[in-house]
Amino acid sequence: MTRAKTKASQIKAWKKDIAGLTYEEATQALDLILAELQSDSVPIADLQDRVLHGEVVLDHCEALLRSVEQSVLQLDPDSLIETSSLTDPNNPTELNNA
Amino acid sequence: MTLSADRIPTYSVGELNTAIGSLLERGFAPRFLLEATVSRPQVKKGHLWLTLTDGTASVSGVVWASRLSQLSYRPSDGDGVTVVGKLNFWAARASITVQALDIRPSLSTVLRQFEQVRQRLEEQGVINPGRQRSLPTQPTTLALLTSVPSSALADMLRTGRERWPMTRLLVIPIPVQGPVADQIINVLNRLAERCDALAVDGLVLARGGGSREDLAVFDDEALCRCLAQFPRPVVTGIGHEDDLTIADLVADHRAATPTAAMVACLPDRDSAERSLQNRRQRMKDLVGWRITRDRQRLNDRRSLLAQQSPLKRLRQLQDDLHQKRDLLRALSPSRWLQRGLALLTNDAGEALSAVTSIKVGDRIMVQMNDGELETDVQVIRPASDQSKS
Repeated sequence: MTRAKTKASQIKAWKKDIAGLTYEEATQALDLILAELQSDSVPIADLQDRVLHGEVVLDHCEALLRSVEQSVLQLDPDSLIETSSLTDPNNPTELNNA
Repeated sequence: MTLSADRIPTYSVGELNTAIGSLLERGFAPRFLLEATVSRPQVKKGHLWLTLTDGTASVSGVVWASRLSQLSYRPSDGDGVTVVGKLNFWAARASITVQALDIRPSLSTVLRQFEQVRQRLEEQGVINPGRQRSLPTQPTTLALLTSVPSSALADMLRTGRERWPMTRLLVIPIPVQGPVADQIINVLNRLAERCDALAVDGLVLARGGGSREDLAVFDDEALCRCLAQFPRPVVTGIGHEDDLTIADLVADHRAATPTAAMVACLPDRDSAERSLQNRRQRMKDLVGWRITRDRQRLNDRRSLLAQQSPLKRLRQLQDDLHQKRDLLRALSPSRWLQRGLALLTNDAGEALSAVTSIKVGDRIMVQMNDGELETDVQVIRPASDQSKS
């Protein structure tokens, strides 16, 4: 396997690892990488890899921030079971002043 | 009954009462608002009877049982109220009663209840700024208790989407006006039990603007105790900025409006983006500094190594040797001999530095710059004799 292919598969693995992370978890992972870089614990040979890993996490954080879809669920007040998803909250069919 | 301009009308009692009723029906507004204080309210056979007074005048009032169950507020003795009413005239007894279609507490009544509840809850430590919990910085899930649909909800959802779309919002419809405290309490209790299951990190209790009287349910003592015990931080956004309810006082954070409540609960996406940019720059800087510093260390080691090379060391030893040789030459007696001075020694080879160690007839060796000579001492003149002569 060439060096470029190894790198690509490594990036793919990192992306898979962080795919399920929340923004808070992802920023914590990013801060850990920054702390490692700051503490000199990363060997020079691994420096580029670690920075690449940090970039992947940063891209994930930015992608989360750019997302515009918000999960809004309406629950039944008696059962607290989901009754509907408020898909168009800007245009409620009926408004009252409350 | 006969009516004529020439004659004083004559009625039977029934006719008179009917005529009064007819006059009232024609000449009086079918609905009116009446500002009054409630006196001696009492329920008889399901109907609420009361006296409405302004201190000097009074009139009887009634809320029929069918209407009483629909009232959002049940007045107590001494409460200031606004009554939506109509006149009932009973011809049989010619009595007038205000039939109340709706009764709302006046502002003074609402504020009096607010003060009474506040005092009780403060005394019991339920209202205590010291027990306010901090809000989650990046909540995963927020529960929104408000009226659905409502402009308040639309504002909150828009604010949520603009600020932090990653937080899941659970909207739980509640009534927000009238005698609905029990309904809200039931929802709060159910939600409290399922906070973990629903992963709720915080609760927003919100209601759009209205009169202060409309917000009275949020002064309900039981409701506010329930809010104070809710297992997650509670944020209130009730009414307008100037409106303060007991719910606001027991909440962990009071926001002025529903929109402000969402702002308090959710991080700002723009500032988070700036923070990420700062981190990206910091990562680049850290790597740059690390490489620069390691390169500097490498250079330092290279020069240290160069200083330790055998050739350099040999040259240094040679330089040291030259210096010592020069020093030795500088200290050698031959320099003095070259300048015309001589070194005297006796037979034993001991250096002579004073005439007192020499006697007449002694043989002494004289070492000069270009050779030696031996001589016998014939005369000794100590320095004191020379100074005399």
